[in-house]
Amino acid sequence: MRKTKDNKSAIRKETRPDRIGKSAIESPDLSIDFAGIKLKNPVLTASGTFGYGEEFAEFVDLNKLGGVIVKGISLKPIKGNPPPRIWETPSGMLNAIGLENPGVDVFLNEKMPYLRKYDTAVFVNMFGYSLEEYVGVAERLDGAQGISGIEVNISCPNVKAGGMAFGTDLRATFELLSAVRKATRLPLIAKLSPNVTDVTAFARAAADAGCDGLSLINTLLGMAIDVRCRKPRLANCTGGLSGPAIRPVAVRMVWQAARSVSLPIIGMGGIVTGEDAMEFLLAGASAVAVGTANFINPRATLDVLDGIEGFMREQKIADLREIIGKVDAG
Amino acid sequence: MPSNRLHRALIVSHKPVGRGYYRLVLKAPEAARSALPGQFVMLRVSDTLDPLLARPFGISAVISRSSLEILYRVVGKGTTMLTTAKAGQSLSLLGPLGKGFPRPEKKTVPVLVAGGSGFPPLHFLAQRAGSRTHLFLGARNKECLPPADIVRSFKELADKVHIATDDGSAGQQGTSTDILDAFLTKTERREHLVLYACGPHAMLAAVSKIAAEHAIPCYVSMEERMACGLGACMGCSVPMKAGGYKRACKEGPVFDSREIDWSEQVLLKLKR
Ligand SMILES: Cc1cc2nc3c(=O)[nH]c(=O)nc-3n(C[C@H](O)[C@H](O)[C@H](O)COP(=O)(O)OP(=O)(O)OC[C@H]3O[C@@H](n4cnc5c(N)ncnc54)[C@H](O)[C@@H]3O)c2cc1C
Ligand SMILES: Cc1cc2nc3c(=O)[nH]c(=O)nc-3n(C[C@H](O)[C@H](O)[C@H](O)COP(=O)(O)O)c2cc1C
Ligand code: FES
Repeated sequence: MRKTKDNKSAIRKETRPDRIGKSAIESPDLSIDFAGIKLKNPVLTASGTFGYGEEFAEFVDLNKLGGVIVKGISLKPIKGNPPPRIWETPSGMLNAIGLENPGVDVFLNEKMPYLRKYDTAVFVNMFGYSLEEYVGVAERLDGAQGISGIEVNISCPNVKAGGMAFGTDLRATFELLSAVRKATRLPLIAKLSPNVTDVTAFARAAADAGCDGLSLINTLLGMAIDVRCRKPRLANCTGGLSGPAIRPVAVRMVWQAARSVSLPIIGMGGIVTGEDAMEFLLAGASAVAVGTANFINPRATLDVLDGIEGFMREQKIADLREIIGKVDAG
Repeated sequence: MPSNRLHRALIVSHKPVGRGYYRLVLKAPEAARSALPGQFVMLRVSDTLDPLLARPFGISAVISRSSLEILYRVVGKGTTMLTTAKAGQSLSLLGPLGKGFPRPEKKTVPVLVAGGSGFPPLHFLAQRAGSRTHLFLGARNKECLPPADIVRSFKELADKVHIATDDGSAGQQGTSTDILDAFLTKTERREHLVLYACGPHAMLAAVSKIAAEHAIPCYVSMEERMACGLGACMGCSVPMKAGGYKRACKEGPVFDSREIDWSEQVLLKLKR
């Protein structure tokens, strides 16, 4: 543990002269109230890119995060898609994991106890292949300890039966979310599909169904082809596009959704730096989630957090509420 | 909690070594100290966002206890960009990652089988495995073999290096698995032999079959596409005989060959 970069910056921070006489602006308030949930700061982890927290605990003090959104959970274990499951694209990647996961019971027995040790909000991302399965998972999570909220994935592009089939049909979205709403008292966050023409209609359907917040965006449906073999790059043929390549689409959708409903939003899609996160906050997100960036830098969440704090100090912003939704769009 | 697996690694030297390969030596003392043969690193070829993902590379040697050696073949966008990195610069490096080869026991006679660009992790194993080692190298032709310096290094480390090329331009004519099979058939005392293989999936499937026929333990290193290297993305799945998948980056890249569902593995490759 010699002079690593991290050690140095930690020391530097403690002795920074500007941290001594802490005025509001020198130590801006990053805490937020998201749908009644107290978050230390607005930086969360995007589902499926941070495992169940444990995989990254070596690099990130989970206590420092606003919250952890875990990999998607279903009623029964899911084997996932055959490989190849990933393909890199310009500043992005396609994935067709197929929602591989150990199922809700194993999650609650083996993964949740670890997360409970930390003082951070835990959001459980979940999905099903039928309305009954969604309800089943929600019921099981309802009784469990240490869960701050449920993120309902109605938008996975990589499973044929459930997922996106619900999230791209307005009526199915409303019915599904209404049923899940009845199954739990936990705060419900609907994770919307970007693979729709008008995201605001789905945002309103989620609000009407009684959801407490929105997450957007999930991955964009994409495809890549090996032109020499004339085969798709992914065994599943199509996959979900994520990473910096999708950020402008994500910012646009967050902005549209924020203008059409009053629900708080977790914005995500290609966030790598604090400035990237600021775009989402200005567009109207109350929190952000860091996804694919975790793969290229396991400390990405903390770098984004530092970036937000630095930006607020530089711009003399004392409270996050001064920024959220404050893009000047004329 | 700064992790000791995430490094800014200084490039100590970086040179082409022939046959399309580069030798990259990176100073990363903590990684070098704990690295085991068969483990790998995730290396970012630049700090820009395109290419986005880090590239996985096996560790081919530990040098003077503070540096890692990587031998890589230029095959695409990332490795082409990597060739421009200069000594004195530093790169983001994550590792060592994954589970390496089980350590050969005192009596073990390690039999290493390398195909394509699968030899780097076996070179590290040869460094640590002792002089009883046999190495089998196979390639389409002489130009597709590992660089001459590496072959020489293998010859110094191992008891014997067996070479086969499809066209007979170097060593015997045939595949590495042909000459491996012949070697095992004529070896009388097989109880201490252990196979360690790395290369294309079809070759690994063939080695695994030969190992089963001769009832010899066999460990294979599976090179899958990877995004995180940390067990989080579930991108690097290897099909298991018992059903389901395991992650090459976490439970692997080295697996007992009997665990793997070769039929699905080979079927998938044929489909592609
Ligand atoms: C555990 C592990 C250890 C490895 N060790 C070495 C090593 O020691 N030396 C070495 O030269 N290479 C090694 N590889 C392969 C190396 O990672 C790829 O060659 C490299 O990522 C290609 O990057 P690129 O951007 O140049 O190629 P791309 O432009 O991405 O692709 C070019 C070609 O390379 C293939 N390829 C791309 N990524 C991988 C990958 N992750 N695994 C296998 N093939 C891939 C593609 O199928 C394609 O045909 C290893 C891979 C793994 C998973
Ligand atoms: C490998 C991978 C797995 C993912 N798994 C899930 C999942 O299980 N559930 C879900 O709702 N979203 C999943 N996502 C989507 C992300 O949570 C996020 O919405 C998306 O990747 C956009 O953010 P990013 O560009 O920062 O990655 C996954 C994304 C990736 C790349
Ligand atoms: S590379 Fe991400 S799980 Fe193995």
